[in-house]
Amino acid sequence: MNNMKTYRLIFNACRSFTGLAKIARWGLFSTLILLAFTSCNKDEDTRPSLEDGKSTVIYDLPGDTEASVGDGVDGKEARPFYTFLYRFKDQRQIWIKNQSDSTRWLKTADWDMAFTGSYNSEIFINNAAYEFNPGYEGEATHTAVVLLRQSYESVTMAPSDEKFDNSEINKIGWASSENSEGWFNYSANTHIMQALPNRTYAIRLPNGKYAKLQLINAYKGNPPAVTNLNWPAPYYTFRYYVQQDGSKNLNTNE
Amino acid sequence: MNQAVFFIKSTLCVISLFFQTAYAQNTSRIQGRVTDESGNPIVQATVVLLPDHQTTVTDKDGRFSFNKLYEGTYQLQVTCIGYDPTERDILVKKSDLHTIEQVLKRNETELSEVWIQERQGNVDNLINAENAAMPVKVITRREIELMGSRRLDEVMKEQTGIAVINDIAGGSRAVGVQIQGFSSNYVMVLVDGQPMLGRNNGNFDLSRISVTNIERIEIIKGASSCLYGSDALGGAINIITRHGAIAPQAHASFLYGSLNVVDATLEAETPFAHQRGSVTLSGNCYRTDGFNTNKEFLSNGTTTPPYDNYSVQGRTRYRISKEGTLGLSLRYAKRNSTMINEWSDELILHDKQGDQDLNLSASYDHHFHSGIRSMSRYYFTRYQTQMQAEWIRQSALASAEEFGQGVHRIEQQFAYSPFKALHFTGGIGGSLELMDNKDLSDERSLNTAFAYLQSEWQASTKIHTTTGIRYDYTNAYHGRLTPSLGIHYRIDDHLLIKMGAGAGFKAPDYKMRYQVFYNPAANYMVVGTDQVREILEAMEDNGELSYINTYMVNLTAGNLKAENSISLNAGVNWTPHKKLRTELSVFHHRLNNQINTISVGSGTGIGQIYTYRNLPKAVNKGLEASVAVQVSTDLELSAGYQYLIAKDLSVLDSIRAGRYPYNQMINNPVTGESKPVTTGSYWGIENRSRHMLNLKALYEYRPWDMNINLRANIRSKYPFQEINGNQFIDEYDAFVPDHVLLNLTVEKRLLNNRLSVRLVADNLLGFTHQYMPGQPGSVILGGISYRWFND
Repeated sequence: MNNMKTYRLIFNACRSFTGLAKIARWGLFSTLILLAFTSCNKDEDTRPSLEDGKSTVIYDLPGDTEASVGDGVDGKEARPFYTFLYRFKDQRQIWIKNQSDSTRWLKTADWDMAFTGSYNSEIFINNAAYEFNPGYEGEATHTAVVLLRQSYESVTMAPSDEKFDNSEINKIGWASSENSEGWFNYSANTHIMQALPNRTYAIRLPNGKYAKLQLINAYKGNPPAVTNLNWPAPYYTFRYYVQQDGSKNLNTNE
Repeated sequence: MNQAVFFIKSTLCVISLFFQTAYAQNTSRIQGRVTDESGNPIVQATVVLLPDHQTTVTDKDGRFSFNKLYEGTYQLQVTCIGYDPTERDILVKKSDLHTIEQVLKRNETELSEVWIQERQGNVDNLINAENAAMPVKVITRREIELMGSRRLDEVMKEQTGIAVINDIAGGSRAVGVQIQGFSSNYVMVLVDGQPMLGRNNGNFDLSRISVTNIERIEIIKGASSCLYGSDALGGAINIITRHGAIAPQAHASFLYGSLNVVDATLEAETPFAHQRGSVTLSGNCYRTDGFNTNKEFLSNGTTTPPYDNYSVQGRTRYRISKEGTLGLSLRYAKRNSTMINEWSDELILHDKQGDQDLNLSASYDHHFHSGIRSMSRYYFTRYQTQMQAEWIRQSALASAEEFGQGVHRIEQQFAYSPFKALHFTGGIGGSLELMDNKDLSDERSLNTAFAYLQSEWQASTKIHTTTGIRYDYTNAYHGRLTPSLGIHYRIDDHLLIKMGAGAGFKAPDYKMRYQVFYNPAANYMVVGTDQVREILEAMEDNGELSYINTYMVNLTAGNLKAENSISLNAGVNWTPHKKLRTELSVFHHRLNNQINTISVGSGTGIGQIYTYRNLPKAVNKGLEASVAVQVSTDLELSAGYQYLIAKDLSVLDSIRAGRYPYNQMINNPVTGESKPVTTGSYWGIENRSRHMLNLKALYEYRPWDMNINLRANIRSKYPFQEINGNQFIDEYDAFVPDHVLLNLTVEKRLLNNRLSVRLVADNLLGFTHQYMPGQPGSVILGGISYRWFND
């Protein structure tokens, strides 16, 4: 290992000066003791794996990276981020770059999530009832989202229909206040988007099935901490589970 | 080689002849002999004649002389390693020949560190660091040589209680120094008592400064605004550059090694006009390839920037009359750097930065017959930087910035001792700062005025007190008075007790009061407190405002106060035996009214609107201990330890009040478990370790003329970033683990101390971590240095 090599290096260098006093050798010995206490250079990621055998885990789904690296200097407006849509059943990503894309896709029930806004961080679940939702006045009726403030693994049952009916969640974005149902926090001091823990979204889909969703990270590689302001983003890591039998059972534990 | 030496010698001779001036014949001489208690001559003792700062060394008979002196009162200081220093007054009359016999008493301590009570005068600054009543650590030139450091940040990293930290929010090039828990924007960096410019988000990058040409570094730990004004709220680092040549000499050195580091220095110094004047010149060239600490995510490129750095400095002093001395100094440094971050084949960032730094200063030192000493100083400094980061595959700019800043400063200092036990230093001055940045509104320049008075009083043989008071006025903020008080009580020869209290402040800058800044990428706006009410009202009138926090606006509009601190320290220096020295001190710093951003509203188009607010307190407290032992004449061991608790009290308040997001359950990302939050969940502020320990062994093997200097810098774990969403550091956030940085320097001198060969090994254990982007793996350098001088 690295440590052994360097120890040998020191020892060999010193061996050539054989006249060294005992004290110097004692110095080397104490160095050895220090080496023993050194923590190894472990940059291990100790977080548990996201896979549970039932959920679909999506890693590094690229958002509009062209817009994020675009000219944002000197206060000049960067080109607005293109929205993309996402479909749970076949993991399809659909880009909305122009009017014909909008006309073709938005008012259908062929998509489940829309990633809009700055860094694609403002997420909408397809819902025909709400203004500002990309699916407004479209085909996705009777859908709703409820925020459950608990971990993804611990959500085993979807909430009651009444809760879904009463939920008014439309945009899921920056959780800037206590009541906000957003998924991430952005600090003006650190400039980093940080996904909040213990936020799981229970979804009632247009076809009546129930699903749960966790948004995990907006940075490439799902790093636990971001060490560079230019870290590539947005690259979305998220996971979800759709209960195909139509029941409210959302248990993903084995 | 002989030809080169001859050439240099003759050039230096020509220079001295050129400056020789004929003076009136009625000059006097002091000559003498230095012996020990048995009457044996002491060779190579240093003899300094004050106030001229003429320096010479005794010859093989212990003799010295000073010629062409004018009448007046002088002080003669004689020092030699292994002996107690002495100082005496000499009254010189016209055409006089004074003969001195000086006896030195033996003192068995051979500790190489400068004992704090031995005060060394600055040649162009009457302010004395100890007047801050805060602990002062002095690092001498020899200690820096023995460490083998090349840049100032490397010297600082090895000091107890000091850490060099990357500030991620400031960008990849923001690196700053932290002292006793105070972050980098509260630590002032000065050269010869004059402030240096050029901060990135408040961080001063110490690697800009080469260690060549440094005579001494004074580190003041604690509020020292009574000495240096606003910005020295947490402490100060004062770099004192070399001055005063005893005899002509030149020095060349070269180091090369890992990371393709090249460090080349050329220096020359000479007295001229019969020791009336001296000039020193030095030039340094440094380059490094940088290092990648994040190989997991960065396939290519570095996290520590590569750069080329050139610097040149010169300093000259000349005694133009028997009362007055003129000094001039110039420093210019230039850096270029291109750092590559390759995240994938498609995502390659080229991050370029260039900066240029210029310092010019002139001083005039005059002694009046009444005993008052006056120092008039003028200082000009200019810093400019160009930064640009580009994604090369997409040909798109990630960021670009150009920044330039200049300061003119004048200061008039006085020093006066009405009688031996009392000494006053006072001064007044002002500065004018100009910024190139056109983003700010019309008031681009910062004008300040200041006045201060310090006293040192030896109240009795056992008690020594220092007091200070300073008034600072800036045009961006009203005036401020800061005091300091320190007491030293010497119980007996072995035991000294010291206590000190000081205040510090940092005035808000323009940005915080006037600037309106909009970040289009994240869609938020930050408004200075003097503009916030107007801007929000205008937005409301235009229907652009969706929410306004009236309570917060009333609290902050036009109401921004200066950040301030109070530092208390108390300590004991115990020297039970001549070969053992220990120090123990406790410190408590309280920081009030820290300025942070706070949300005041949100707009229909713009997301969040922020302004600045004074938040309550942070506390840094702890203890520092150090031990130095002279195990034998050849081996010296020392250790320094700091225990630090640094907490933001507003976080504790928010947790108690159950405010969002502090009231969320603490989530463990590894197990997924969550538990309720308590005040005990708060670990402390980012980037501060609880424990820092420095161990050092310095061994001199005389038969081989060799020095071996082994140092271990041990840091306990410290938090890097908050990652579990509750906005404060708890045990589950991202931490840098406990680690040891081991450094070794071996130096061998040859050819009668002219040639030295060095092996420098930094971070021998090769510790790196992705949360320490600025810490390279092991760096091994080898080099030689050669000195030309007359025996």
